[in-house]
Amino acid sequence: MDELLEQFLIEGRELTEQANDDLLALERDPTSSSNIDSAFRAVHTLKGSTALFDFAPMTEALHAAEDLLGSLRAKQLLADRTIVSVLLECIAASERWIDCIERTERLPVGAAAQASALRQALLAPLKREDQQTSTPPPDLEWLAPLLAREGQSMAAARGAGRTITALRYVPNSDCFFRGDDPVALVRSVPELLAFRVTPREPWMKEGYDPFACNVVIEALSAASPDDLRRIFRLVPDQVVVIEVGNRIGQFAPNGDVSLMDKSLESGLRTLRVEASRIDTLVDVAGELIVAQNTLAHLAAKARQSDPALAHAMAANHADFERLVANMRSAVMRLRTVPLSTTFRRFPRLVREIADKLGKDVEFVVSGQDVEADKSIVDGLFEPLLHVVRNALDHGIESSAARRSAGKPTTGKVMLQASREAEQIVVTVTDDGAGIDLSAIRKAAEARGLMPEPVLNALQDSAATDLIFAPGISTATQVTDISGRGVGMDAVRTAVELLGGRVDIVSGIGSGTTIRMTLPQTVFVTAVMTVRVGQELYGVPLDVVAETARIPIDRINAIRSGEAFVLRDRTIPLVRLSSILDISTPERSGADVKVLVVSYGNQRVALEVDAFVDRAEVLMRPMAGLLSGMPGVLGTALLGDGRVLIILDVSELIG
Amino acid sequence: MSVRVEADIAYLAGECRVEDAEPLLGFLQSGSSRVVDLTQATHLHTAVLQLLLAFRPHVVGPASDTFVQRWLIPQMTDT
Repeated sequence: MDELLEQFLIEGRELTEQANDDLLALERDPTSSSNIDSAFRAVHTLKGSTALFDFAPMTEALHAAEDLLGSLRAKQLLADRTIVSVLLECIAASERWIDCIERTERLPVGAAAQASALRQALLAPLKREDQQTSTPPPDLEWLAPLLAREGQSMAAARGAGRTITALRYVPNSDCFFRGDDPVALVRSVPELLAFRVTPREPWMKEGYDPFACNVVIEALSAASPDDLRRIFRLVPDQVVVIEVGNRIGQFAPNGDVSLMDKSLESGLRTLRVEASRIDTLVDVAGELIVAQNTLAHLAAKARQSDPALAHAMAANHADFERLVANMRSAVMRLRTVPLSTTFRRFPRLVREIADKLGKDVEFVVSGQDVEADKSIVDGLFEPLLHVVRNALDHGIESSAARRSAGKPTTGKVMLQASREAEQIVVTVTDDGAGIDLSAIRKAAEARGLMPEPVLNALQDSAATDLIFAPGISTATQVTDISGRGVGMDAVRTAVELLGGRVDIVSGIGSGTTIRMTLPQTVFVTAVMTVRVGQELYGVPLDVVAETARIPIDRINAIRSGEAFVLRDRTIPLVRLSSILDISTPERSGADVKVLVVSYGNQRVALEVDAFVDRAEVLMRPMAGLLSGMPGVLGTALLGDGRVLIILDVSELIG
Repeated sequence: MSVRVEADIAYLAGECRVEDAEPLLGFLQSGSSRVVDLTQATHLHTAVLQLLLAFRPHVVGPASDTFVQRWLIPQMTDT
């Protein structure tokens, strides 16, 4: 793909996100001029970039959006819900177009018709307004040439991160009679960066009137707009004061001076790097860990033949280990992004869905600053969307139902994130009706998941867990929003693919919380290595609840299986050798070694021949022909060059 | 009086006010190759400044006043 187009896709997404955020904020506070300005700049810049390509319909639609935002900016219109909605629609369409451009490098069929409909909708409020008032928008044509001309004068102030304020002062021609001296006013402007006086009408030497003021004054200052307004408070009708941010003066490709998005400017200094380059670095850092493990292995070997050398190697290894750990965390941070990149897409979606359902919902987002690996943050979107949809559709009741249940008529859905040790926890909580367990039991029975007596004997938490079984839906009617058979099992699968797990807590009448626990990084997997027969296997540590030795006489045969009681809990026992089809001698010792693993809400013990080690390994997913191999998560290279197979425990038992 | 004329040269001194514009106009219109000395001027009223911009006499500086020197004289020498 063309580099310019790639850049457009990246920036386009950033700009639509920015516009989205601003518009949603504007809906909460229709008078917020900073949000209007920011949305205007985003749309303006996006429009400018589309013009570089053959995306004319998109340019047109955005142009209309820019016009509409322009009149909000000029305070000719108030940003009411209708106006914000149509602007949001335009941004949503732009997002879809950008997605399509990424796939096909062109706009979708029908974009032109869509754009012209959008255009009409966007311009409709302007027409309505035309008939009412006739205040011209403030003319800002002068600003671009001024900024272009004075780029150098602004450099130092920009470098110091100062705001720059532009001023245009067109004194009335009779101002001298009123005692005004425009130059004296400019003289009192602090931190003047540029000052230029030009004639308003061409100079006439013949019949020159010394008492008619004929100048236009343009100036830049590092003082704040408010300071300038204070100075010119007696001539407010003759001045335009505008804050131009601190990195103005960059030329957009169309020769326009772009009013750079302040949120991009004032943030951290960033460097955009292609993801594949970072992945290369991640790979190298991963290999380094393997190399470090090799060193540990060698040191252990040397201990027998040359203890002094082994000692030196061990000391060296410690240094090496520390440096590798530092490098690892630095590399991991490279791929880390805040959850806000996914979370910020939700407020608008929630608004759309709630509107469609005719429900009144307050949506609260928190913890969007929590960071995780980009693949996890991106991968969370689909499952989260599903869960949020469910909360809105099935969770939150209609206003009438809520009123009769004695709840506030406005439902509440919360999307929260937090860090817990090495993991992130993302929860979606609604204060809706909760999950109807009898409906779940019925659905499970209808699907033949379990016989009725078993279902009825299930504890409530286990029954709630059934919602994750394939094909279970409690939706009484299929709506446009959800309930189309893509159930919570898809959510569980998606989250597990990311290395996480999903839990659910629900109370009838009080609502439902879906809790997703995910690793922060996908880089290194901590595994427990165990021996079965002569072979080594890895079990991800995050599923290992504990290791234990169980006396043989405490193991009871239950039908075809075995189980034992551990701290008042019956835990089924599975021999790893029989699942993996490895022949091992009969049990000989007084006890067996087991790995107690959590599997959904349950615990299962895996019998192994020996616990070998705990190690951090770089896990590679199975590729090619092996990718379909059941029960295997991936492989890792051990320090001594052997390949460790990492088991997918839930797949093996389930 | 802050405008003092000696032959072809007008010396502007101190704070030049709006009422200085008319005599200065007379001076500038009374012949070509007029010279205006700003070394002693501490402020130019807009009426005076725009007159100098319109007639573009030869300007003598530098002005002792920093604002006049830094911001006003360059206006007149700008092309």
